[in-house]
Amino acid sequence: MMASGDSRREPRQKHNGLHWLGLAARGLKRDLRAADVRALFVALALAVAASTMIGFFLDRLERGLTRQAGQMLGGDLVLEQGEPFSNELKSTLREAGMTLSDQVDLVSMISRGERFQPASLKVVDSAYPLYGASQVDVGNGVEPLARGPAPGEAWVDPRLESLIELELGDDVQVGRATLTVSGIIEREADQSGGFSSFNPRLMMHVDDLSATGLVQPGSRVEYEILAAGPPEAVSSLDARLETLKREGVEVRDVRVDRPGLGSALERAEKYLALAGLAAVLLAGVAVAMATRRYVDRHLDTAALLRCFGASQRQLTQLFALQLGWLALAASVCGALLGLAGQAGLLALLTAFLPLELPPPGPLPLALGVLTALAVLVGFAGPTLLRLKRVSALKVLRRELDPLPASAWLVVAMASLVFGGLMWLYSGDLGLSAALLAGGLVMLVILGGVGSVMLSAVLRLAALLPQGSHSASPTRALRLGARQLGRRRQASLGQLLAFSITFAAMAMIALVRGDLLTAWQDQLPEDTPNYFAINIQPQERDAFVETLAGAVDERSSLYPMVRGRITALNGQPPQEAVPESGRGDNALRRELNLTWRDSLPEGNRLVAGEWFEQGAAESGVASSSASASGVESSVSKSESASDTVPISLEDELAGRLGLSLGDTMSFTIGAATVTGRITSLRDLDWDSFRPNFYVIFPPGVLERFGHTYITAFHLGDDQSPLPGQIVENFPAVSLLNVEAILGQVRDLLTQVTRSVELVLGFVLLAGISVLYAALIASRPLRAHESGLLRVFGAGDRLISRVQGAEFAILGLASGLMGALLAELAAAGIYAGWLDLAPRLHPWLWLGLPLGGALLVGLIGHGLSRDLRRQTPMASLGLLGEA
Amino acid sequence: MAILGESGAGKSTLLGLLAGLDAPSSGELNLFGASLAALDEDGRAQLRSGRVGFVFQNFQLLPTLTALENVLLPLELAPASDNDARARDWLSRVGLGERLDHLPKQLSGGEQQRVALARAFVTGAELVFADEPTGNLDPATGERIIGRLFALNREAGTTLILVTHDHAVARRCDRCLRLTDGQLVDMGHEEVSA
Repeated sequence: MMASGDSRREPRQKHNGLHWLGLAARGLKRDLRAADVRALFVALALAVAASTMIGFFLDRLERGLTRQAGQMLGGDLVLEQGEPFSNELKSTLREAGMTLSDQVDLVSMISRGERFQPASLKVVDSAYPLYGASQVDVGNGVEPLARGPAPGEAWVDPRLESLIELELGDDVQVGRATLTVSGIIEREADQSGGFSSFNPRLMMHVDDLSATGLVQPGSRVEYEILAAGPPEAVSSLDARLETLKREGVEVRDVRVDRPGLGSALERAEKYLALAGLAAVLLAGVAVAMATRRYVDRHLDTAALLRCFGASQRQLTQLFALQLGWLALAASVCGALLGLAGQAGLLALLTAFLPLELPPPGPLPLALGVLTALAVLVGFAGPTLLRLKRVSALKVLRRELDPLPASAWLVVAMASLVFGGLMWLYSGDLGLSAALLAGGLVMLVILGGVGSVMLSAVLRLAALLPQGSHSASPTRALRLGARQLGRRRQASLGQLLAFSITFAAMAMIALVRGDLLTAWQDQLPEDTPNYFAINIQPQERDAFVETLAGAVDERSSLYPMVRGRITALNGQPPQEAVPESGRGDNALRRELNLTWRDSLPEGNRLVAGEWFEQGAAESGVASSSASASGVESSVSKSESASDTVPISLEDELAGRLGLSLGDTMSFTIGAATVTGRITSLRDLDWDSFRPNFYVIFPPGVLERFGHTYITAFHLGDDQSPLPGQIVENFPAVSLLNVEAILGQVRDLLTQVTRSVELVLGFVLLAGISVLYAALIASRPLRAHESGLLRVFGAGDRLISRVQGAEFAILGLASGLMGALLAELAAAGIYAGWLDLAPRLHPWLWLGLPLGGALLVGLIGHGLSRDLRRQTPMASLGLLGEA
Repeated sequence: MAILGESGAGKSTLLGLLAGLDAPSSGELNLFGASLAALDEDGRAQLRSGRVGFVFQNFQLLPTLTALENVLLPLELAPASDNDARARDWLSRVGLGERLDHLPKQLSGGEQQRVALARAFVTGAELVFADEPTGNLDPATGERIIGRLFALNREAGTTLILVTHDHAVARRCDRCLRLTDGQLVDMGHEEVSA
């Protein structure tokens, strides 16, 4: 035993930071026994897990999909021009870290014996393909081959088999060279060279090109460089790419050009980001609720510490450090969970990501920890400051609790932090600010609605009959409703928290459903899988008849005239367009022009008016004069009376800097036709239907040589139709796009699964809110049930009263949640996801009933031990653990 | 010293003022030679730090902390390597050396108040304030607690200011004051006995 003299201590030493760190850690360790600390931990860990998992996953998915898109494109970067590329450019690309493959595309007549056929030649080098493999039959059935044909060999389209009766091993004449057919191409590794040529494909090696003698001055040859490399390498070339575009080189960049899956992928990414934010918001609400209980429980500790001589700063430091430790531990667990989640997700998706994905980077991890700290500061900060304001006198007068943090301060701080996180995640300040402002307005409205609802609950309770016996359901309902209505502040807080939770959960589920529907609508079962091109006018009726009954679905038949843009507003195009538009594909190639009296399906007018009946007549005279005249000059067709109305695709208009009222001149054969833009159209390029940049009214282009195009869906693989078409309409090119359609569908399945997994996380975060809120309200409920028991209520009545109270709370929250979800989803559809807003009637029934059931069951279950306590223990619980 | 008074006379308020837990709205109060009126809340806390101990009627033990952790609480405000040993030692002195890891709810009222006694003396306080320390205990347990409080007080050479309405307890103090109608009146032992 120490002597009394020894026990008197020296005046306090200056406290060091390490001491407080240790003290906070010890405090936290002791505190782990408390339910609110566990709720805080779970909520923070979930926030980190959701954000890291989505971060990791999006990061890797993004890279994986870019790779896949790269495969469709033929490389991460594809450059194309009408002359060979300089060695200097190639060295620059190689120095930046790109792997190159040279390719030449041209159209030429090929022959076998007496049979001739125009073919689209794809001349590849030994590096081809940079990504993926072609599906080729080299005699052993169709197999994937990650190479092109060897020198002296040719791979051909199956159509050539029937058109000029080519078989494996046959010789085929290409220009002056003779090549041996060594493969039948089922599917090319890439779509480079793509649909620009509708002639059947012949692939050959670049070493044989000079022997063909096909490349002569003036011959139409496209040179391509396919380049593969990491995103950093591509980014490092940005400045050079801009210069190339200005010089008229066509640049296809995997970061920008994602054929066929752009909008779906973009929406999926936005959805994932949205779901991640919803999970973080819910975790934040759970943190806010658990913190209230944490602070209530620590008021005594704080008062005692004040009594023992702790300063306000020390108290702040102690509790902040304590929660800092908690955030750190939760971050580690959450990050591990996030890592595991994304690994699981990856395992699910391996089949869809044939290429190995790069390992997870450190950035999402850092973002996760930052999220935990931000959520803690934003959602717990103002409430925690209450501990600092505790008076030491509370040890003598228990009622001396510091005032709770102002609700406005709590909301303002949480909004600020959440807004910051939204900005960080979305990279869009305007959107974040708009969402935040909308959210705050909604909160005020919800507060009002909630208040009215609680009053209504009290009124309705008064109308309920007393019930015939002591534990009758109506009596329990009456008592439960009264308890809820009278505890106004606490109930309103829970009502708001639960309705936000239900709304977030419902919204993420709604958006998921609507996204999937939108994707399915975009590529329905009967999406055309064949394009028929080059249908001659005289064959038109016979062709339509052949298709009738044999195919499930057919798009309209569109006439097609090829024309080149030669002037914009009377100026040469290269001078008229903004710098960024100079390399645009539309200026370098002939465009497919069509005419039509009604807006094509899947097109939407975004500006101007569609053609009126007989719209072309004013311009017909001049355009026909131009068309028949040997010389038609651009200047001649400048005056308004010479022009015909045209409708232009909106995005092209943007790229070329054109708007309503501008004129475009096209050279068609030897003639020039000038059109004035009278409408702009938005269309869905992912639709697998014939789409046109420029549409004329009927009566202008008919006099030019034209063919027809259509797309149709053929469900039956064994259908004789393709064979019949090839036989009866030899000039018609039939293009099977089933493979591309398959690729796009695979990608959609892939993102759908990721969307579902993320939805699961949001649901978990929602349940954590319910848990935290119910934990926070335990002491109050314990006190109430203790009092009821003192006044003679039995187990059954108390159990029913609590069940009724939770169910009413869940029902009311569900109703408010439905309202909030409907409004928020409409806003997000219209403003962000580019989907048409729609009403969800089932939500108004499902959410209140589901809410009543969920809150009723969880709340009732969590209160079971309270009901078992003696009244003394229940009454003593208030203000303690 | 004992401060006697009826319920509602303001005994606890006075104790709070004396300990610097509250600030007087007027008048002058000195603690350890410093004017409490001149100090803000943090200044008064600094003054108390390590020099003042407390025993409360409702024990004021933190329910989630064990007996040992409760005694450690005031010590933890300052780093020292022997904090743990000191806390254990004081718990042994109050006869709870075997119940260090018990939570308050596992201890009886008397045992809880003994933990509070150990906590009041563990810092080597010069001044201990006790607010109705037996108010929540049965007479026999209360008697034992008071005996132990006085013994520890003697042993540690501390000044004890005790607020009570129990004359028997007050009689054991060197000096007794009565608080009536806001006035503090010195009482002789005879008057207390009467």
